[in-house]
Amino acid sequence: MPKPNHHIFADGELSRNEGTLRIDTLEGKTEYLPIESVDSLYLHGQLDFNTRALGLLNEHNVPLHVFGWKDYYRGTYLPKRGQVSGNTVVEQVRAYDDPARRLRIGQSIIEASIHNMRGNIRYYDGRRGKFSNTVTKLEELKQSVSTTTDINELRSVEGNARKKYYECFDQILRDPFTLTRREYNPPTNEANAGISFLNGMVYTTCVSAIRKTALDPTIGFVHEPGERRFTLSLDIADIFKPILADRLLFRLVNRQQLSINDFEDELNGCLLNENGRMIVLEEFEEMLDETIDHPRLNRKVSFKTLVQTDVYSLKKHILTDEPYHATARWW
Amino acid sequence: MVQYYHVCKRELWFMSRGIDIDRETTNIQRGTHIDDTSYQNARKSFMIDNRIQLDVLDSGDVMEVKVSSTLEKPARMQLLFYLWYLREIHGVERDGVLAYPTERKRESITLDNSATDQVESTVGGILDVVSRDQPPELEKKPYCDSCLYQDLCWM
Repeated sequence: MPKPNHHIFADGELSRNEGTLRIDTLEGKTEYLPIESVDSLYLHGQLDFNTRALGLLNEHNVPLHVFGWKDYYRGTYLPKRGQVSGNTVVEQVRAYDDPARRLRIGQSIIEASIHNMRGNIRYYDGRRGKFSNTVTKLEELKQSVSTTTDINELRSVEGNARKKYYECFDQILRDPFTLTRREYNPPTNEANAGISFLNGMVYTTCVSAIRKTALDPTIGFVHEPGERRFTLSLDIADIFKPILADRLLFRLVNRQQLSINDFEDELNGCLLNENGRMIVLEEFEEMLDETIDHPRLNRKVSFKTLVQTDVYSLKKHILTDEPYHATARWW
Repeated sequence: MVQYYHVCKRELWFMSRGIDIDRETTNIQRGTHIDDTSYQNARKSFMIDNRIQLDVLDSGDVMEVKVSSTLEKPARMQLLFYLWYLREIHGVERDGVLAYPTERKRESITLDNSATDQVESTVGGILDVVSRDQPPELEKKPYCDSCLYQDLCWM
């Protein structure tokens, strides 16, 4: 059973109190958080913390994801590596550096990613609009992945698929939410803001999962290592965005759990306000704990475990050349 | 490694490559706990040649503590290997005790001729498994469900 994530919204101080975490809020409340029960810690408020607090996180292998102004992702404090394996990193770099091996891994990732996009669109076909053309197009693009001969070609297939996919969002999302174009940095409207925020959560979920293996998060296969973020997390996140982020956004908007009032317009851009973030995060965490039957593992696994096993599968592929099963939804 | 060889050669291969496992798993915690808390007064731990770590009883017997006797043969082979190593490398002849504290059970183990043959063929077998480029093939075993590598193996 994976441990839950914890989100701290309060402003105040995070400290170590003997073997446990202590949070003193500016409002004068004190709370204790048993570190043993935390998978990853998310700071959304303004918190002071010191090296002793980090030391405790370190001992228990808890990554700390920090969000700053308006919940923009700031970065992650990763505990000292619990899993070290030079062998794994060497093999990962070799796989990256060998165009054929890299392409094979990239193709698995993109195939699964398009498959998961297509699943979402197929679900809403007839419910919120007519998407059979998009479903067919995505299927074609998925088929064409295996014939790509280099990573650039693969990325352009992925780009086309994502474009087709996002074109349906406008109809899937109940009015007044609109997504005419996917825009970020900063997001320009509510739908874009919702997608960006959830994508950020998927990304940090992947960062935490990769940390539990000896894989190097900076060496990705679809994305180039030159990009500023952990590129392996970006790769894995592409598989899970349709499953974890988009599906949730559709549900929250269409069931009117999330309204236009849960966002605020800034000078140039739109972001979830505090209430909106609470709604989204609560639902996101709940969904991570939902379980589904896993045919290969022959047991029920949570969505959070699903991210973890995907990373395990990739790792095993890198080390043994046994097939990598990027998570393509089967349920 | 001796134990893994007799439990699952695939697990042995993963282990030999230093492929990580989930250390938070309750099974590991349980094993460590039982090892830490049983027979605390009667045995002393020795690290030999930086290679094997064994517990020696006050009586001079070598002790191996296990959570349960379900995988009896692998545990016995592990202990026999220790006895064999002591005899072959250091010229020290010892007997062994296999103990299951939670079951209140102990068993005496002696390194006789047939046991020696078994240990030696095990060592050869291990060398063969760990020198392969790929892990031995996936195979469903009754204890796969409680294995630390299950998520890695079956994914």
